[in-house]
Amino acid sequence: MSWTTALGFSERGWGPALLEGAVLTLLVSIAGLAIGAVLGSLVAWSKLSGVRVAAAIGESYAAIFRGLPELLVVYFVYFGSSAALTGLDHLLGGQGFLGVPGFAAGGLAVGVISGSYQAEVFRGAFLAIAKGELEAARAVGMGRWLSFRRIIAPQVLRFALPGLGNLWQVALKDSSLISVTGLSELMRTSQIGAGSTHLPFTFYIAGGALYLALTSVSDRVFEFAEARATRGMRREAR
Amino acid sequence: MMDTAFIWDTFLRLIVALRVTLSVWALSVFFGAFIAAGVTWMRGSGVKPIEWIARAYIFVFRGAPLLVQLFVVYYGLSSFPAVRASIFWPFLRDAFNCATLSCALCTAAYQSEIFRGALAGVPHGQVEAARACGMSGFLLFRRVIFPIALRQALPAYSTEVISMVKATALVSLVTLWDVMSVALKIRNDTLVTYTPLLIAGAIYFVVNYLIARAFIFIEQWLSPHLRARSV
Amino acid sequence: MPESESDSYALTVSGLHKRFGSLEVLKGVSLLAREGDVISILGSSGSGKSTLLRCINLLETPDEGVVTVAGETILMRKTRDGRALPVDRRQVDRIRSELGMVFQNFNLWSHMTILENLIEAPIHVQKRPRAECVEEARALLDKVGIGDKANYYPTHLSGGQQQRAAIARALAMRPKVMLFDEPTSALDPELVGEVLRVMRSLADEGRTMLIVTHEMGFARDVSDRIIFLHQGLVEDEGPPAELFSNSKSERFRQFIANERS
Repeated sequence: MSWTTALGFSERGWGPALLEGAVLTLLVSIAGLAIGAVLGSLVAWSKLSGVRVAAAIGESYAAIFRGLPELLVVYFVYFGSSAALTGLDHLLGGQGFLGVPGFAAGGLAVGVISGSYQAEVFRGAFLAIAKGELEAARAVGMGRWLSFRRIIAPQVLRFALPGLGNLWQVALKDSSLISVTGLSELMRTSQIGAGSTHLPFTFYIAGGALYLALTSVSDRVFEFAEARATRGMRREAR
Repeated sequence: MMDTAFIWDTFLRLIVALRVTLSVWALSVFFGAFIAAGVTWMRGSGVKPIEWIARAYIFVFRGAPLLVQLFVVYYGLSSFPAVRASIFWPFLRDAFNCATLSCALCTAAYQSEIFRGALAGVPHGQVEAARACGMSGFLLFRRVIFPIALRQALPAYSTEVISMVKATALVSLVTLWDVMSVALKIRNDTLVTYTPLLIAGAIYFVVNYLIARAFIFIEQWLSPHLRARSV
Repeated sequence: MPESESDSYALTVSGLHKRFGSLEVLKGVSLLAREGDVISILGSSGSGKSTLLRCINLLETPDEGVVTVAGETILMRKTRDGRALPVDRRQVDRIRSELGMVFQNFNLWSHMTILENLIEAPIHVQKRPRAECVEEARALLDKVGIGDKANYYPTHLSGGQQQRAAIARALAMRPKVMLFDEPTSALDPELVGEVLRVMRSLADEGRTMLIVTHEMGFARDVSDRIIFLHQGLVEDEGPPAELFSNSKSERFRQFIANERS
């Protein structure tokens, strides 16, 4: 089979499958980033709150998941969540083995890893907000929830965008590891196609090209978002 | 699961496998540094086509997942008869060589960006002062630019070096018997899931911790000018 | 070949032009400095004073003009697209090693101690023996008043101390002419005095000095000559007594009036 047929959109072509794989990669990465955002903000909050126990827990979580290989975390979450689900099922009287779908396990794994880095991004972004602005909000009589909603949250997002853009790229690449769970995201689809057509070079290059396309588009999106978010912010003197 | 003999046995087998992990890591970081130096030089050369090649290299090797890169080198290249007949084949048929080559190419892209940032961060005034004394060319680079850039690069470089330790776990997917693959094998053979993975995790964690400490030590040794003066 | 006339001058600059993009900063500036001359260069920002200094040691490349240091002319050529470049990079390095420059922001090398800063160029550029350089460096540090700070790093010193170290570093090269680019502009007011004192003692020693400065009092008391630059041209020039009381330039009189307030 020629490589044009293999990658094409005909009956025997893998074009549609690869594109579907790319979409799945996108979705699972978004899920991972979202989970990471929740975990990251919790950890950042725990560190900023000043409560020693919470900060210690947060710090440990971040240190652990920054020191472990991403592949190991994927396996751990995949096996661990399946075991947990099976255990739950057995408690409820079921038998046999329940596997957690690759999407859920993979998204959770990417999220847990991403969260450990997002914590630092959020913490830094919060600290970058001029203290005076918070004081001004207080002085004007804004309550804590209101000042969080109107002053803190929008600005944290502004300052966090560059760091988040980076971590998004990381999540996209980490998602390729979810292929070991069997999820038919882009990496796994490339693998299957390569095996089926005996054209490994073609499929892995195609897969790589699609990843690069996702990266490029993401770059533009984040550039645009950063430009909009930093409207009116003072540029650093060059 | 709490069988101490099993834990100890697993630990020993993983330590043996650590040799593969650390070999791939050390060789790829080392050779990657040289490739990165070349790429950084090309990036700053001022000759447009050469700059473009460097930028393309960085884009590809930083933008694509390492797993894809590994598979292209290991599975992809070997599928070409031309490659199998070439002089590179004795080198490329070995999984260890392919994996190390691929990791080196990948880390080179990241290291190149670190080098570029560090060079750009050298205070322009100090370079001017050196020129004003009559320094130029290699002397200027050796005595002023490189030492300052080196110190600037250390934090980011330490992060990248540790990232590479974690990245080597992927070589388990191209048939190498590193810590990751041995841990999985033990799991498959004994059906004990957590112990091998936990011990493997602990080993990786300790290795990364030691590397981080080593870098902190190097940073402190090289930067007495940043510490508070003990009078 | 150097003209016999310029042999007697420590530094001659003639017809310097410098353009940044479409902005012409120097429009034909000339000056002569004999040995022992202390020349202060005054002017408002944008007048081109720093650029003039930086063209002398080729930190900026003049588009037109000739610079001659101690009888040796820096050889320049024109590229195909009309830009000017020095002919011999080694000549530029050598001439730079005969000029000592003191920068507004000191620019001490942060990874070296003060002593190492002073001996760096004498050892590696002038290829002098280390022992001799160290001895001379220590003497210079004593002279500028920071002899006890030899093993300190620049970040541990105050601005005034750093600038004095920078002056010592320039002196360590045994320069024929010293160039000062707004040496006190980046200093807190209370630290300015110690630096001016050192500069005054250098002037008293008979060193040839070109000083770009905003310190009017210093310029008037210490200089042999003052050059007033305005928009890239020499508006007026002469001994301080003459200029400060009797300048024919309306702009200069405006200038000193503004600076005073």
